[in-house]
Amino acid sequence: MEKKDAAYFKKLAHNLMFELNDQEAQELVEEFETLTKQLALLEAIDTTGVEEMIYPFEEETSFIREDVVSNVISQKEALANASKSKQGHFVVPKVVK
Amino acid sequence: MTIKEMMEKTTVQQRVDEALEIAKNSQEKLNAVVTFIDPSEQIKNLEGKENGLLYGIPVALKDNVCTKGIKTTASSRILENYVPIYNAHIVDKLEDAGAVMIAKASMDELAMGGTNLTAATGPVHNPYDLDRISGGSSGGSAALVACGAVPLAIGSDTGDSIRKPASFCNVVGMKPTYGRISRYGIIPYASSLDHVGYFTRSVEDAAIALEVLAGRDDRDMTSSYREVPHYIDALSGDIQGKKIAILKNVTNAIDNQETLTVFNQLMDELKAKGAEVYEVELDENLLKAMLPTYYLIANCEATANHSNLDGIRFGVQKEGATAEEIMINSRTAGFGSLIRKRFVIGSYGLFVENQDRLFRQAQRVRRLIVEEVKKVLQDADVLVAPASANGAPRLDDQSADQLTDTYLIAENHMVLGNFTGYPSCTVPMGITKGLPIGINLTAKAFDEENLLNICYAIENITGLKDAKKEVK
Repeated sequence: MEKKDAAYFKKLAHNLMFELNDQEAQELVEEFETLTKQLALLEAIDTTGVEEMIYPFEEETSFIREDVVSNVISQKEALANASKSKQGHFVVPKVVK
Repeated sequence: MTIKEMMEKTTVQQRVDEALEIAKNSQEKLNAVVTFIDPSEQIKNLEGKENGLLYGIPVALKDNVCTKGIKTTASSRILENYVPIYNAHIVDKLEDAGAVMIAKASMDELAMGGTNLTAATGPVHNPYDLDRISGGSSGGSAALVACGAVPLAIGSDTGDSIRKPASFCNVVGMKPTYGRISRYGIIPYASSLDHVGYFTRSVEDAAIALEVLAGRDDRDMTSSYREVPHYIDALSGDIQGKKIAILKNVTNAIDNQETLTVFNQLMDELKAKGAEVYEVELDENLLKAMLPTYYLIANCEATANHSNLDGIRFGVQKEGATAEEIMINSRTAGFGSLIRKRFVIGSYGLFVENQDRLFRQAQRVRRLIVEEVKKVLQDADVLVAPASANGAPRLDDQSADQLTDTYLIAENHMVLGNFTGYPSCTVPMGITKGLPIGINLTAKAFDEENLLNICYAIENITGLKDAKKEVK
């Protein structure tokens, strides 16, 4: 099993598209020790034959609706919160050089 | 004043002006507000809403409630510049009922915390003791109701984020049944646990608020079709024959004798009013697993929910040479330290090699815990326990040992209301070691009328209706 050290958590963070600094990664190593003890309490529960509970109620509240247009927003509104936009598009640096 | 008293005794302009004055005058000490809202347009638009249940009533919203044209940050740096182009469903509901929104309230970043120490704008202070936390994540909302600025403030509750700050701030904190209030337009935390709720200073106001906010909304796939009753009509205060089950695992885990004394005295009073009060004990091992179960489900869901916060389509963008670099830089600078660490844990729980052992196991244990609660509530009207072992901790004291029963059970039992989706409410109970403390009650799904009526009886006993602490 891979060692849960600061480098391990930094790698995980990078995969999630953010970074942890040295101090944060070290804190996480320490917090993970406590969490591992708590998780042992969870893993000790016998759940043989128990189905996962995804939502609190199994009562049907979602449905397939007719494919009709509703709740339309304008292009201007869609781009209103973007830092950079041009000609109706979000702008990012060139991907293809 | 309660909502009814405000309507009888003040004009709209007077009550809105006073609300803003109190909120602004206390801001330096409480730090409860992220954004003040100019109410003038809303007041102009009140014509024709005179019969609304909240006509001209000043209201605060937790800053994860989307408000068209008004900055909504969820107290996160990454959303510091985010101005929604639409209203949350409940904002439209509040406007229809005549409410006037005066402030967006501080919260733990993205609602992921229980202290309100992680807000981008800094901690919220408790009106009852400025050196102590308000609790979180809906801490700004709780503080604004507690200091008397507004009689109603919206919050959200994924673990106990309304019900714990309500206890610390001596106000009513209501989290209705999952699906009772639409979550459309609420910046999410963990979708299977998130609820919209609110704070008030009286149970009667809590009943009024629920009637306004509840109801089906097609834009929230978990929103219930059930009819919305007139909750206020259920408030008789008669609890003759009501069955009140004390969650003994919680009282056993509390070593603060003052809290237990206040709680036990209240139980005696309820008996004297004709209620049948008895103790129940749930499987201790399941309750000890409650917090890790919550932690995994919440963080795994949050990691997925917040993958859209990348600084490109909305939110604060940081420079980068590539799209990937922009996202990494924006997310690193935009999320606080605690949030990034929680996302890492969430991602860890979702790894293929961990998913069954951790995330799926948590979902299975959730079902076992829910079955236990369900069994108790087959016989009882409500399940009750002190909302917390102690009053609000000091701002600089986050030293709780996270492996003790006090922490695992007594300080975190209210997550049962989120696992089950059952309605759960905290009402003020009294004072412990000089600080306010609440009692938490949980009822069967969609049994808010019964729940609120028992809360009303408790309020009649404690006399803690409309309690507030002015901050100058």
